[in-house]
Amino acid sequence: MLKIEHLTAAYGKVSVLHGVSLSVQKGQVVTLIGSNGAGKTTTMRAISGMLKPTSGSITLEGRNITGMPSHRICRLGLAHSPEGRRVFPTQSVRDNLLLGAFTRLTFGGDRGDIDGDLDRALDLFPRLRERKDQLAGTLSGGEQQMLAMARALMLKPDVLLLDEPSMGLAPIIVEEVFQIIRRLKEQGMTMLLVEQFAAAALGVADYGYVMENGRISVEGPAAQLQNDPAVRAAYLGGGH
Amino acid sequence: MAILLQLLLSGAALGMIYAVIAFGYQSTFATSGTLNFGQGEALMLGALVGLTLAGNVAGGPYLNYWLMLPPVLLFGALQGVVVERIGVRPAIQSKSEFGWIMSTIALGIIFRNVAENVWGHDDLPFPSPLPTEPLHLFGASVLPMELLVAAGAVVMMVAVELFNRRSIYGKAVVATSTDRDAAGLMGINTSLVITFSYALSSMTAAFAGVLIAPVTLTGASMGTALGLKAFAVAIIGGLNSGLGVVVGGVLLGVTEKLTGYYVSTGYQDVPGLILLLLVLSVKPSGLFGKTIIKKV
Repeated sequence: MLKIEHLTAAYGKVSVLHGVSLSVQKGQVVTLIGSNGAGKTTTMRAISGMLKPTSGSITLEGRNITGMPSHRICRLGLAHSPEGRRVFPTQSVRDNLLLGAFTRLTFGGDRGDIDGDLDRALDLFPRLRERKDQLAGTLSGGEQQMLAMARALMLKPDVLLLDEPSMGLAPIIVEEVFQIIRRLKEQGMTMLLVEQFAAAALGVADYGYVMENGRISVEGPAAQLQNDPAVRAAYLGGGH
Repeated sequence: MAILLQLLLSGAALGMIYAVIAFGYQSTFATSGTLNFGQGEALMLGALVGLTLAGNVAGGPYLNYWLMLPPVLLFGALQGVVVERIGVRPAIQSKSEFGWIMSTIALGIIFRNVAENVWGHDDLPFPSPLPTEPLHLFGASVLPMELLVAAGAVVMMVAVELFNRRSIYGKAVVATSTDRDAAGLMGINTSLVITFSYALSSMTAAFAGVLIAPVTLTGASMGTALGLKAFAVAIIGGLNSGLGVVVGGVLLGVTEKLTGYYVSTGYQDVPGLILLLLVLSVKPSGLFGKTIIKKV
């Protein structure tokens, strides 16, 4: 479904990714774990077109999307809930959700059942329903994260990228976020999940990649990574 | 007393024009962080095109004042697109921080020269669509056109505000203004939004041009001072505050009229510029501007 081959990317002259390859099959949840600065977010940004890769290729359902602007990639069915949530703070929760469905609401888009989808998004995140008309900037961090996820789902994406959905959240909210990821997985959503909470991420994922200094160092089925002594020592707090 | 009221009213009408032009500065600044320093020339071109259609300069009038408005607005929008494509987009794409300043000023000068050659150097009278007989309000006499100026300015700003709040395209413009990258992830073509904001900005300037032309004179040099003063208004009111430009505009319009009458018309531009310097040194984000705190 999503295939990345020998991807390299740089911020100015500083190269960050040195040939990353990974793939996500339909219906699969794949996680990308690694320490700070390993290049996880850069990989995500390159996939969704926020950053132009310097070389390598990205294909979405057999279609080459390398270097396409993000608004076109979005139209091909890839939603990205970015690191730091990036909700639109001056607009209401409802408006944020409608913006998530922008491509469906505008010329040439398949409108589908927008009202129903809005309702389902608010069912999935009941805290947002109470705050529907509030400005997104007034929400708590956890609520903003849920809004960012709900907004991405409003696209009805074929692939969903989730970048650090647990960042800066209280443990109880992190648990809630992971429950929602699990529920999306049950519904068959294809996801690529970047996380610092490696244990939790490997707990929901089917397959995992470990990133180090802009390269994939280890990969394998999630269950296998969970038992890999090196991965445990480095990322799962094992052995301490 | 009647004189004072009259000065206040005509100052406010002039101030609304400043507000409309300043609103145009805000519109491009919000989406792209750039300004069209040829805003005054966009106003002038709008007024001259309007005059050509509704006045008797080129064998006209072809249309009456009201029918002339749609083509002038369309012309303004197209002119904005040209400015963005030629002057601003290359600068944004090459990540040049100041290129757009020079290129929009340069385009403004070119537009003025073209206008001088097409319409001549002399100021031309613009036929008023309303009676030129002043109305008497509480002893003050007000030109009906001045009321139309104020009403037109309000209608335009309300229309844009409704567009931004109600339509999905307007919401996309607001989203692009707050977070361009995130807006791109929503499938919004943010380059197109920036082009649109330039079209809107020049369209409002052209609209301001045909509103103000009947109470002033129309000519190639009419826009320069207006554009500059509206820039001062945008800075005084705050580049991101809709209310700020209205208050700033009226403040500047009224101080100008008061100074012009009670001190000397030679000094009428001074208080506004002093106000500008004061605001810049005391509250650089403008009277109503929100300081944007970048969270890292």
